[in-house]
Amino acid sequence: MSYLLQLLVSGLVVGSIYALAALGFVLIYKASRVINFAHGQFIAIGAFTVYALVVYLKLNVWLAFGLALLFTALVAFLVEKLFLKPLVGQPIISVIMVTIGLASLLDGLIHLTPFGGGNFSLPRFLPEGGVSFLGVSVSYPQLLAVLLTALFLAGFGWFFQRSTLGAAMRAVADDQMAAMSLGVSVEHVFALAWAAAGITAAAAGFIVGTVSGINLESLVAIGLKVFPAVILGGLDSIPGAVIGGIVIGILENLATGYLDPLVPGGGTAEVFPFVVLLLVLWFKPHGLFGTEEIERV
Amino acid sequence: MRRLGVLILLALSFGFAQKVHLMWSGAITGPTSDAGKYYAQGVEDYCKYANEEGLTGGLTIVCETRDDQYNNANTQRNFEEALERGDPAFLGYSTGGTLQLKPLIQEVGMTYIPASYHIGNIDPPNNDYVFLPIVSYSEQVIALLEYIAKEKPGAKVALAVHPSPFGRAPVPDAKKAAKELGIEIVEVQEMAKGLDYTATLKRFANKGVEYIVYQNVAGPVATMIKDAKRLGLNIKHAAAHYAGGPDLLRLAGDAAEGVIWVTSYYMPYEDAPGAELVKKLGKRYNRPADTLESVHYPSGMLAAAIAIEAIKRAHAAGKPVTGDAGRAAVYAEMLKLGFDPGLAVGPVTYTKDDHVGVDHMRVLEAKGGKFVPITEPFQSKLFRKVHYGK
Repeated sequence: MSYLLQLLVSGLVVGSIYALAALGFVLIYKASRVINFAHGQFIAIGAFTVYALVVYLKLNVWLAFGLALLFTALVAFLVEKLFLKPLVGQPIISVIMVTIGLASLLDGLIHLTPFGGGNFSLPRFLPEGGVSFLGVSVSYPQLLAVLLTALFLAGFGWFFQRSTLGAAMRAVADDQMAAMSLGVSVEHVFALAWAAAGITAAAAGFIVGTVSGINLESLVAIGLKVFPAVILGGLDSIPGAVIGGIVIGILENLATGYLDPLVPGGGTAEVFPFVVLLLVLWFKPHGLFGTEEIERV
Repeated sequence: MRRLGVLILLALSFGFAQKVHLMWSGAITGPTSDAGKYYAQGVEDYCKYANEEGLTGGLTIVCETRDDQYNNANTQRNFEEALERGDPAFLGYSTGGTLQLKPLIQEVGMTYIPASYHIGNIDPPNNDYVFLPIVSYSEQVIALLEYIAKEKPGAKVALAVHPSPFGRAPVPDAKKAAKELGIEIVEVQEMAKGLDYTATLKRFANKGVEYIVYQNVAGPVATMIKDAKRLGLNIKHAAAHYAGGPDLLRLAGDAAEGVIWVTSYYMPYEDAPGAELVKKLGKRYNRPADTLESVHYPSGMLAAAIAIEAIKRAHAAGKPVTGDAGRAAVYAEMLKLGFDPGLAVGPVTYTKDDHVGVDHMRVLEAKGGKFVPITEPFQSKLFRKVHYGK
């Protein structure tokens, strides 16, 4: 029983990290209908910024984290202004191609820094070991991942429900034309959505870096791993991204725990979530919580 | 005045020295670039050093490092370009790229030195022109199993391998060797990049696993080692060449203490000529500390040194060193090559039937944040028996 419980808790922890990474992806899609293939690169920028500030400038890790959130938000904001804004109204495929190109560009730029290749590790700022209960163990970095995810969700929840800007973003997500006619600056909202996505990406990068070290390829891979999470949860649903991320995390762990011994070589965690994803999409093509759009012709 | 004359003479001789191109194609960006970046720097620096120190027999070796992004199609394009230009040898990188290129390498007769130590690179068919710089992954893993069998007879072992031909390479030989050694391979787990390996580790622990042997890259291994420590598992960790090293220490921190690692290369902090050379080149070419610490830096240096030595000897024998004839001449030299650049724990020797350069390795253990050797250089006793049946 404790084995199953451990798998579920580990899945929840990993899923929280996916959820945090997925959050930024959904924020952009929800506001602007843009699928951002460069999300992994923003995660990497956040992680490397924290590392650089802590290791080179010897800043306190939490101060570095705060600055990295701001810096990544600024980069994402500028990226939107420079590359995405001119594409408003263009076919979606053009926008997608731009984000794919953006991923390559950012990859290339990161490779021009000392962080392109190599493995890096943040100096330890959390105690060793972790928390144990009912035969289940969770490390402090993993615990931090869950807490930060919860914190960001609560923060964004408040922002969208209570703040004027959040209401404007929701209005744009619901109907751009209607929002515009009410005086909401759609361009401004798009840029803010990217900045908010930058913040969550930086947070995810920081967490991944704390849990498993900092490596460009691994960080970018996390950016791609959010795809099944957001598709499962629904591309435009913030709660969906969280639930999708957690479900994927738990499915991966259950597959490793129970299916791997049955398959020579194991590795079912890489496949099983996608099988479940396909089954879910069979019945719910817009994901568990995605908006079902009805087009009238 | 005399000094000026000598300088002019040197400049002229450099200018007129025959240029021979040598290309390396590997992952400076993309997957495994954490190794490829340093490997490329090793190739570049050794090449510059060899030219500057006159280790090229009067030739000017023009080394070119190309980023193939771990993409076989790019590797093939680079290889074909080198072939068309008349390069006499080629420095490769990945397992996939080498295995895919083997038929072409055989067809054109180009000496090919990969960074992949997959035994399939030098096994038939199409294996005449591929040369491994150091012992294969299979021999590394079997050496670890031999060490484990000595330390704990009858031990229960799990293999945690990369989900790729690179990771799977030593599995069949390791299974045969385990039988011979009387140890039990409880499970072979393919292990991709992940954020948590609790499920895998708990399963291993439930099966009584005492050792995990890794044929992987440092990132996932570090996470697994940290998770094992957090879970308080009494499991020892043993890493093949690419799974361990200073990168693992950097990523896993204290959790890496006690990890054993097998490699043929010297560590930069050791009292060895190769270690001195690493420091000297790193300083001369302004490489950062992480380059000097990386085991992939001397790995690249060794690959370049092997190719340059063969080219130099072909040239010294009065043979052409470019084009079809150059490829044949360099290959002929490879088959009788024997020299010791000092970067690894044994000399580089090749024959027609032996395409492994450095035949020895050592087991090192992480102690106080450093890998320190705990064995003398040795060869696996079982590898030849289980792999070649002799």
